[in-house]
Amino acid sequence: MHDWEQIVRKNLRVLKTCTPEFAEKITEELASHLADSYEEHRRAGLPPATAFRRTVTQINRRSRISLTLQILQEALMTGFTRKVALPGLLTFALAMVIALALEMADVQPKTLVILGDGLPFSLPLAWLCLLPICGAAGALVSHRSGGSPLQRIAACLFPSAIMAAVLLVIFVAGFVISRFVPDSGWNWALAVPGLALWLTGQSILTAIPLLLGAAAVEKTRRIPARAI
Amino acid sequence: MPSVGAQIKRGSAELAVLSLLAKHPLHGYEIAKQIEAQTGGVLRFDMASLYPMLYRLERKSWVKAEWQTLANGRRRRCYRLTASGRKQIAPLRAQWRAFFQALQNVTGFQNA
Repeated sequence: MHDWEQIVRKNLRVLKTCTPEFAEKITEELASHLADSYEEHRRAGLPPATAFRRTVTQINRRSRISLTLQILQEALMTGFTRKVALPGLLTFALAMVIALALEMADVQPKTLVILGDGLPFSLPLAWLCLLPICGAAGALVSHRSGGSPLQRIAACLFPSAIMAAVLLVIFVAGFVISRFVPDSGWNWALAVPGLALWLTGQSILTAIPLLLGAAAVEKTRRIPARAI
Repeated sequence: MPSVGAQIKRGSAELAVLSLLAKHPLHGYEIAKQIEAQTGGVLRFDMASLYPMLYRLERKSWVKAEWQTLANGRRRRCYRLTASGRKQIAPLRAQWRAFFQALQNVTGFQNA
């Protein structure tokens, strides 16, 4: 008697990032599919070893990658508004309130000029130091709403995602405008490194403290998420 | 004439599953086997394509799944079409009809 659920779990480690209910549903359903398939092969007269081999090929490497991606998408999208978008917006709002408060308190970001052409790059150290609070808040609210580990990470990274999206929109808009406006000053040699630099500064650097905050929540609250 | 969606492949699979479920509720393995049998093996679903699609249809509330326990204690999720899912069949069929008509006009494959 084969333990099909164990085989599914072993091949789809991504299920660990889902809520227990979601992971259990997928595990049981895929295991049932494999069991049906095995029984059919046996009924067709295949010896047990061959039937088993043919059955498990359904969860081979290519299927595994495809299933993993689909499960990640499904795990992220199930209850997206409640478990990702709203906690994410809270994270973003909190980050903006802190930035505003620092601005009002006249805490200036450290400005470094990195590119030779004088492209300014600000490093708001004080804000970055306070961002773990925002990441923790987002992850906690997502957790309280029943969010899976993946959804909690997505919620805490919302500000970084928004900043990356805004920068990309500005980049694309700048490029489009430069096509229609003569002498717009669009310079690929400056625009591309600038985008890379700002993406790094505004998205990747902010993601690190946000993730640290979420990690702190994960560490202190090792309890299963609420049932969906 | 209704426009054909870009996700033609996904659409064809969805139409096949919805049409099948319009007749009676089925579990995942049965859906895959029946589609394979009814199309003479031309259309085949593997696990990686079938279940994500079923979950997507479930999220859109086009199908509803319920657990059923077999005599041997094993459980299966049985899918049935919802009223909302039933409404999708006609537009999807219209899209496919339009698609095949367009293809016929270009290739003349019907008379080939």
